[in-house]
Amino acid sequence: MFIHSTLRAVAAAALVLLLNGGAICAPQDAAAPPLPVPPAYRQVTDEIGRTIRVRQAIHRIVSLAPNLTETIYALGLQDRLVGDTDYCDFPPEAQLKTKVGGAVNPSLEAIAALHPDLVLVTKNLNRLETVQALAEIGIPSYATDPHTVDAIIASVARLADLLGAPEIGATLAADLERHLAVLHERLASLPPRRVLFIVWTEPLISIGNDTFIADALRYAGAVSVVDSSQNWPQVNLEEVVHLQPEFLIFVESHFGSAPQSAEALADLPGWRLLNAVRNRRYATISDAINRPAPRLVSAVEDLARQLHSEAFTEKPQNDKDQTNPPAPSAPHLSSLTENAATPKEQACAL
Amino acid sequence: MRPLTLRRLFLQCSLLAAILFVVVVVALKLGAVPVSLYGLGRDLISVLLHQTSALSSDYGMIVIDIRLPRILLAIFVGASLSVAGTSYQALLRNPLADPYILGVSSGAAVGAILAVVAQTHLALPVWLATLTTPLGAFLGALATIAAVYFLGLREGQIDSGTLLLAGVISASFLSAIIIFLMSTLSRDVRGMAFWLMGDLSNSLQPSLRWILGAGFFVAAVAIYTTAADLNLLLAGEKEAMHLGVDVRRVRLVVYIAASILTGLAVSVSGAIGYVGILVPHVMRLLCGSDHRILLPTAAFGGAIAVVAADTLARTVVAPSELPVGAIFAIVGAPLFIYLLRRGSI
Repeated sequence: MFIHSTLRAVAAAALVLLLNGGAICAPQDAAAPPLPVPPAYRQVTDEIGRTIRVRQAIHRIVSLAPNLTETIYALGLQDRLVGDTDYCDFPPEAQLKTKVGGAVNPSLEAIAALHPDLVLVTKNLNRLETVQALAEIGIPSYATDPHTVDAIIASVARLADLLGAPEIGATLAADLERHLAVLHERLASLPPRRVLFIVWTEPLISIGNDTFIADALRYAGAVSVVDSSQNWPQVNLEEVVHLQPEFLIFVESHFGSAPQSAEALADLPGWRLLNAVRNRRYATISDAINRPAPRLVSAVEDLARQLHSEAFTEKPQNDKDQTNPPAPSAPHLSSLTENAATPKEQACAL
Repeated sequence: MRPLTLRRLFLQCSLLAAILFVVVVVALKLGAVPVSLYGLGRDLISVLLHQTSALSSDYGMIVIDIRLPRILLAIFVGASLSVAGTSYQALLRNPLADPYILGVSSGAAVGAILAVVAQTHLALPVWLATLTTPLGAFLGALATIAAVYFLGLREGQIDSGTLLLAGVISASFLSAIIIFLMSTLSRDVRGMAFWLMGDLSNSLQPSLRWILGAGFFVAAVAIYTTAADLNLLLAGEKEAMHLGVDVRRVRLVVYIAASILTGLAVSVSGAIGYVGILVPHVMRLLCGSDHRILLPTAAFGGAIAVVAADTLARTVVAPSELPVGAIFAIVGAPLFIYLLRRGSI
């Protein structure tokens, strides 16, 4: 009995040494010559209200969600990203990072082997069990949980703060907000389009009111015809025919070729009763709409352009009258489009 | 066994057909858009007279274009699964045999998923593409029942316990394969998880409807030709053989036909459990175990059960929907336990 517990204590000590030893060495290699920093750790509260203890300087990050991987890249902090998931496919370079498995079932061993200072998770994708298991082996994790577009932008800024890059975060957040403001100005006078956001066609699955996608639709000058408190409600086709949405919105990644699939709907019983199907009022956007990350704003802009094309074609005429520099959105866009490939390029990357 | 008279067969079938008619009318009335009986009758008559332009409104179109096809699909799925279950139970002389429990539904689902994957990689002509999923499901079902049958043999004879265990193991093995396929294949296939839970909301290509109808007719008639032999088989394979039953032929016909029925049903509605086991038992209690009567009455019973369950599935939490498979599991499992405890199984 005694021998047993001693052995266990020794083994535990060895394990602690092994884990900490690695973790201590790694940042020293990566960081600049160490200054006399008094507290090595600080307390942070994450978006689901957990207080976590993280290193003062975070040099090694593992991301367990595609949107967080994108955010790290958008903040230009990709050098600190040491691992991500199988689903982290944007930007394409993210696919070259060390993979720790899927978002729902990552390999704890693979994460521990990377000696991360911090693991990033998001509440609606990752599991609480993963976070708890990480805590048990002494790896802190920070959870984000945005439900609106504003919350996504705030979340990006907060993450930048946490990672010690507050200026970059503030600039990015201001840039995103400016894009949304420009969009709002264009669309403010127009009535919102009544749309059906299609997550899946067989069976028909759409989005609920509390999702950030529903909020993103509002920014794009649209409102979902589906009124549900579930996040991913299965919707009755009869109900949709009754409501007659003006546009159907498809997301590219759900179909290898969204327009083809949309074309096939015209022959299907039930679907062919929809005016949007009869008149081919389809909008197709990149899967950035599914990810609470900075690129969401470019997807919102793309969607707005398809739903309210008249608001965007009138603009050049107005520009002549205006004293503002022409096409105000173009220069701002360039900063975003560095990260946001056009939907077609993306389809190739996928 | 009471002697079969045409009159008895006719009486029982017409009684069930009348019940089915009432259930269908109720199902046609209920839904996201309410319709009156009068409007319903007028719309149905104008469709039968091919006067679709005379349809009252979009509401009429909703009933004709969405609700009616879905109810017909429910009838088809219910009848297919209960006929398949009835014939499996007779042939395997096992009261628990059913496409779902024997793993045949899971096998059909694996076949269907592989067919969908193959379809995206092969550029098939449209008419062939419509066929691939039902065909894949049929092959999956046939391969599974063949495997379960051979695993269930002991010294050349079907052993009831072994067979059931072989079925249960196959079902869990195939479910594991489905999970494996879901997590490794592309995202597009992952959405099929919804379909696997058993769902009748899919709109079918009109050409597929003819395939389903023809497949059901051929398979059901083929099984019915063996009805008298199935009665003798209840006594045992050897005994039936001594009584002049060509057991090999019956086996071949029933396995292939039941696999067609299961495969077609799974390819359009996913795996709906408990239909193939509950309906035949209830019908056996009501109509006796003469397969010449049991097979057609089970077909009607299955149709009634699935239409009723699907009506619940689409109205209980409207405007959202429940998967009909979940309704069957909730209602079916307790009913099954009740029958089991009563000793009727």
